[in-house]
Amino acid sequence: MSDLRMVEGYNYDEFVPEKFEPGMKFEESPPLGKPAPDFSLWDLEGRETRFSAIWSVHTYTTVEFGSFT
Amino acid sequence: MNQIAERWAPHGVGSIFLYTHEAHPGEYWPHHTSFDQKLQHARALRDVLGVTRPILVDALDGACHRAYGGMPNMTWIINQSGAPVYKSDWTDAHSVENAIQYFVAAVDRRRAGETLAPFNVERLDLRNVDREAFYKGLERNGPKAVREFRAAFG
Repeated sequence: MSDLRMVEGYNYDEFVPEKFEPGMKFEESPPLGKPAPDFSLWDLEGRETRFSAIWSVHTYTTVEFGSFT
Repeated sequence: MNQIAERWAPHGVGSIFLYTHEAHPGEYWPHHTSFDQKLQHARALRDVLGVTRPILVDALDGACHRAYGGMPNMTWIINQSGAPVYKSDWTDAHSVENAIQYFVAAVDRRRAGETLAPFNVERLDLRNVDREAFYKGLERNGPKAVREFRAAFG
């Protein structure tokens, strides 16, 4: 899938099953106890950081994924 | 979840909110078409919804969100070594705090001299369901978001 199609598919424009269901793959998510995948993330000012830079600060880090609803 | 973050911060537990995509795009909060727009939406989480935890923003293509399973409101707990120790496909404050209590207590048990080894456990937790509050959230996104959710789930 091209980058543009990936962006459009991920940011679907309407909440219909054929658009939101393909992205929901919790059963394929990383296992517990193994190294977590690391990614770039950005703060609210647009400064880039790494997921690993966040979780390495505290003994444990809770991460809630979400949006407005 | 904000209160839980504040309650457990003194015990070495950090908390973040990772902004993903608009699960229910509407007229007022539409789907993302640029990263600048996504940053604006993320700031509104703080300014409109009152999220007090640090907010981090995923890439426009949701690389991180997709890799972790892509569910709209999941919670993960990751230890300092970078290993997930808890993951839930939906966020429930009781479940999350229960897990935090367990893991913080385990740190204390180790300090007290217990030898602990990891093992796997599965559990089917129960979450609060407040359909009325959920619909109010959808209304904030716009009538389209409400209409599409009703069409999908009634």
